[in-house]
Amino acid sequence: MSRGLSVVVLLLAAASRLPAQSANDLLQQGVRAYQRLEYDAAVALLRESLLHRQPMALADSQRARALSYLAATELFQQQRDSAAAAFRDLVRLDPRYRPDELIFPPQVTNLYEEVRRSTKVLSVQVPPSMELRPRTKESFTARVITTSVLPVQVTLARDDGTPVRTLWNGRIADSLVVTWDGTTTDGGALPEDGHYVLRVAPNPATEDGPRPLQVTLDITQEPPDTLSWPPPPTAPTLLPERTSASPALGSLAAGTLAGGAVVALPALFGRSGDATGARFVVAAAVSIAGLVGFFAHQPRPIEANIRANAPARAEWQRRVEAVKSENAKRRGSARLLIRTGPVTVAERAP
Amino acid sequence: MKTLAATCALMLATSAATAQRQSSIALRADAFMMWVHSDTGLARASLRGPGFGGEGRLVVNGLLFGLGLLEGQLKPSSAAATAPPLDLVQGTVYVGGRLAPWLEMTVGPVVRAYVTDSSTERWVFWQARARVDAPIVVGKLGSYLEVWRALASDVNLPTGARRIQGGEAGVVYQPPRQRVWLRLSYRMDDALLGGGRPGGNETMEAITLSGGIVVP
Repeated sequence: MSRGLSVVVLLLAAASRLPAQSANDLLQQGVRAYQRLEYDAAVALLRESLLHRQPMALADSQRARALSYLAATELFQQQRDSAAAAFRDLVRLDPRYRPDELIFPPQVTNLYEEVRRSTKVLSVQVPPSMELRPRTKESFTARVITTSVLPVQVTLARDDGTPVRTLWNGRIADSLVVTWDGTTTDGGALPEDGHYVLRVAPNPATEDGPRPLQVTLDITQEPPDTLSWPPPPTAPTLLPERTSASPALGSLAAGTLAGGAVVALPALFGRSGDATGARFVVAAAVSIAGLVGFFAHQPRPIEANIRANAPARAEWQRRVEAVKSENAKRRGSARLLIRTGPVTVAERAP
Repeated sequence: MKTLAATCALMLATSAATAQRQSSIALRADAFMMWVHSDTGLARASLRGPGFGGEGRLVVNGLLFGLGLLEGQLKPSSAAATAPPLDLVQGTVYVGGRLAPWLEMTVGPVVRAYVTDSSTERWVFWQARARVDAPIVVGKLGSYLEVWRALASDVNLPTGARRIQGGEAGVVYQPPRQRVWLRLSYRMDDALLGGGRPGGNETMEAITLSGGIVVP
């Protein structure tokens, strides 16, 4: 009677403090109640801690701890079914979790193993994001976990259902790291930017088997940085390979000015009315000389300089080819940026 | 005269400062056709005729020393003209220097005489010259322009002389790797006569074919 009364008092006290207490506080109090062998209070506190919803809910690791203590408490209260139910929740929450054998006695851990074997759970863990260089040793990894031997198929498909790759199709006893090298079945090409779905499903699907899981992958190709082309050789590295046009224009100007001077001399220094027209013959000769100079100085190749420049040009061409080759190599090694979404339960395949 | 002295001094000092320290001798022979137009205010006359001339120059330490002589026989341009034929004789002495590869300046006296059977018209003037060379094809073809003006002048005419100025332009051809050269040029100068009669002048024109040689 006194024990029942104390439980009621504890529950009332706990209930009165609940709104102000966090799920973690309740978990700690539940653990302490368990350690004091106050199982009724421990059950009440632990269940209450598990009822909290986001954002006040326990983290997964704490939730697993709460379920472990709850199952153990229920077992010590001879509530084996309730204990098994708590352990099933624990297995579904984290198939790889194991109750600490230093804390819980064998009868607890044995029950857990029994429940784990009988509970078919499929789980997948993926990194939140990663960068991947396709066609190298780098790969995207997904850890598939089962609580019992289970035939599983892991596929990658576009979000519209178009298959991309089948990454695994076989039995998984405990866990398996499935890898993807970043290429498609289409000749090893890289996937286009877009949304993809990683689907992990029992194969074949059964009514009583675990439900298939899927993870959304947001894949983006990141083009690699390419090298800029080396600047072409210029002066003063190179000798001029053509003569300049300036001498031609200078010759034309000299002839034109001198010819003009011949014509203009009488007007400049005397009385042009008396001047003889014979000077135009001289003016024409001088102007023709200017034209001869103009055409004689037309830009033309300088063979000696071209030959002298040949090694520098060849070296530049060699560097251009090297850059071309390196850039082609880099373009073929684009990186994939993969961002993963949450693991969700997928529809069973028809 | 002060102007003349100052011009000579400046020219010599500058050319000596820029001297290339190369010595050479250059000789030139000219054949020309000449036209002389004379307007004394009282009468006009036009004469023309061929002539020959020559010039020698010495380049020492960037300084130029030269002398030239030309002689021609002039006759009236038209058969109806009454002007008597005359001989032209001109002597030139100059000194100067090359201030830049393209610029040469000289100064010196010029004596020119128009000689007829009965009289001689004699001009004496101090002439300052500037010559600009512009190559057309380096080492082969070149053009040049030369202008001059008298710094002081005298003529044995009653009218006296005022300013005298002129210019020359032409083309020079030098065969490759040769020391000889050929030149075709046109020159003219004009002398204003004084005496208070506006319009009086004497103009001389010439088309000259020259050949020369440079001896280093």
